[in-house]
Amino acid sequence: MQPQVQVQAPLLQLNGITKVLKGQEEPRTILSGVDLTVHPGQSVAILGRSGSGKSTLLSLIGLFDRADEGQYFLHGNDITKLPERRAAALRSAEFGFVFQRFFLLKHLTAAQNVAMALVNGQGWSARRKRRQQVMEALETVGIAHLAKSKPARLSGGEQQRVAIARALVRQPRVILADEPTGALDTETGNLVVEVLLNTTRQGCGLVLVTHDHDHARKMGRVLELRDGRFN
Amino acid sequence: MFSGKLRSALVIGGQGIRARKLRTFLSMVSLFLGVLAVVAVQAGSEIAERAMLTDVELQAGKDGTLMGYIPGEKGASGIVETMLKGRSDAVAMISSQAIIGEPGVRPINEGGSPFEYAGRGGDYYGPQMICDASGKCTEQKEQEKKPAGQAIEVSMVALTGDIRQFKPFRPVSGTWLDFASTPSLAPRIVLNEEAAKGLKQYRVPGEMMIEGATHHVTPQIVGVVQDGNGQPRIYMRLDELRTWMPAAAEANDTNRFRGGGTQLEVYLQPGSEDLQQLMKAKLVGAGVEQNHLHFDTVNSKKRMQSELKIMRLIFLGMAFLVLLIGVAGILNVGLATVGERVEEFALRRAVGMSRMLLAGIVLAETLLTGLLTAALAIGAGAAGLQVALAMFGSRFPSLQGTAFPWEAGVAGVIAGLVAGVLGGLIPAIRAARIPIATVMRA
Repeated sequence: MQPQVQVQAPLLQLNGITKVLKGQEEPRTILSGVDLTVHPGQSVAILGRSGSGKSTLLSLIGLFDRADEGQYFLHGNDITKLPERRAAALRSAEFGFVFQRFFLLKHLTAAQNVAMALVNGQGWSARRKRRQQVMEALETVGIAHLAKSKPARLSGGEQQRVAIARALVRQPRVILADEPTGALDTETGNLVVEVLLNTTRQGCGLVLVTHDHDHARKMGRVLELRDGRFN
Repeated sequence: MFSGKLRSALVIGGQGIRARKLRTFLSMVSLFLGVLAVVAVQAGSEIAERAMLTDVELQAGKDGTLMGYIPGEKGASGIVETMLKGRSDAVAMISSQAIIGEPGVRPINEGGSPFEYAGRGGDYYGPQMICDASGKCTEQKEQEKKPAGQAIEVSMVALTGDIRQFKPFRPVSGTWLDFASTPSLAPRIVLNEEAAKGLKQYRVPGEMMIEGATHHVTPQIVGVVQDGNGQPRIYMRLDELRTWMPAAAEANDTNRFRGGGTQLEVYLQPGSEDLQQLMKAKLVGAGVEQNHLHFDTVNSKKRMQSELKIMRLIFLGMAFLVLLIGVAGILNVGLATVGERVEEFALRRAVGMSRMLLAGIVLAETLLTGLLTAALAIGAGAAGLQVALAMFGSRFPSLQGTAFPWEAGVAGVIAGLVAGVLGGLIPAIRAARIPIATVMRA
């Protein structure tokens, strides 16, 4: 069952999220009582040093992992303890992910890489419809003309835009970007951030994890994570 | 919903196979021999079973047939002939020897042996014996050797009705005996393939001497059948034989030679126990000893099937071992591939794919590999059969016209699928366990 969208309700809301890494060594607290609210159309930058828990927080928001404590609401619905199958469905329907490395499959074309998000077992659409959705997403990031190119023939910026198109193709409500400009030069990085910010104008929430203060300043809110807490 | 998952698995599995053609090929090579072994064993056993069982029916009769051996003493032949005259549910056949060709000469295949042994010296049957009704045999005094001449010796079978309901002889050419027509003075005969081969190979006059017959006869050849018998044999109507060989002539010892006119077999349809009892009663009443009458239900096919089944299981077991080696190959390649695709699988989960579907994709790839291999192995098996038939078909007449058995195709597909599942299961489980966070840490 899809969570019901409530008017004026925050897109996502994290209350007192705690995450402890339990390995062979001593348990290590990565996040400690983190609160975060993102509204539709809002962009949030999360800054922090390496190991401060930025990526862990993003993986909890993106339902890659579960928090040890706290509550997580999406559209007002508590999804803190969602079973894996439902979490997969929500990842497909609600979230778009952009990573520092682009994770494009080298044997697929740009269009096929984007279509990867549509061929994930969460429903099925006809090939023609898929193609249309893919081309629209590529159009949004301005590289529709490269649809048939394989990743090896694309520049870093183009590859990241393909990755963004892959994140956008299902028209998600939230974009989670984990240092998306980390592997790009400044100019290309700016371009990618612009593309990401454009999505918020259509009501999409954006959570951007970055080390780059210039990019962070372009977001609506900037939060800094230190020792597992927001300052 | 299921359709979406299945389609996704097939689409992504197909992409995976195309992206790793060499690995897929190597997997297929290791699996090919295993699937081919299963296909070959299944095809071989099916073909052997069909050939053997068909010949068994030709020789021993269809399963369920009630078959009786009756000594031709004390007028038994006449009693049986009278009882079965005009009946369609029972047939009697009397066997004897006949020589076609020049009279008073030694036949080319003396003793009625197959023609490939003709002229090789010695007697195909060993010493010539005279046997009485109880089965006690004594060696016959050596006859004066006749001069060699243009004649062939055949085994002659005279029938009271159409035997094909019990022994499904396969027509080769011409027609079968017509039991509805008026008996002819020139007996109509149907040859088996070996007899036809003899007549084709040797130019012999159209005169026939039947042991116990009062005169030589001029036969009319009406057809050729495949009867599963390697010795030359002819079939004719008993009533046409009786014109030349009265029933009384069968009683003397001379005609018992080599199973002459005294051999009487009856074939009754299943459920003819009443007729069997009546026949027994009449024969015993005529003085034939009860313990000389032997009736049995034909069960050869069932017995042979059971023996073939054991053989098939043994060979399939061996083929399965070969298949396991192929499975190990797929498993090895599958595990290596999953190791290389950790990031891809983590990414697919990140974009909404469930663990189950991810496992399904890995399984779909190995299943598709298994099916492709099965298709190749089945094709190779079918082609191999055609080549074998072209090369050796003439030496094994029962194999001629043999088609590739569909059961072997099914076995190949099942072997391919089983190998795909066994080889893909562990890689699939590993793929499903890859944490999504791998993409964050990369």
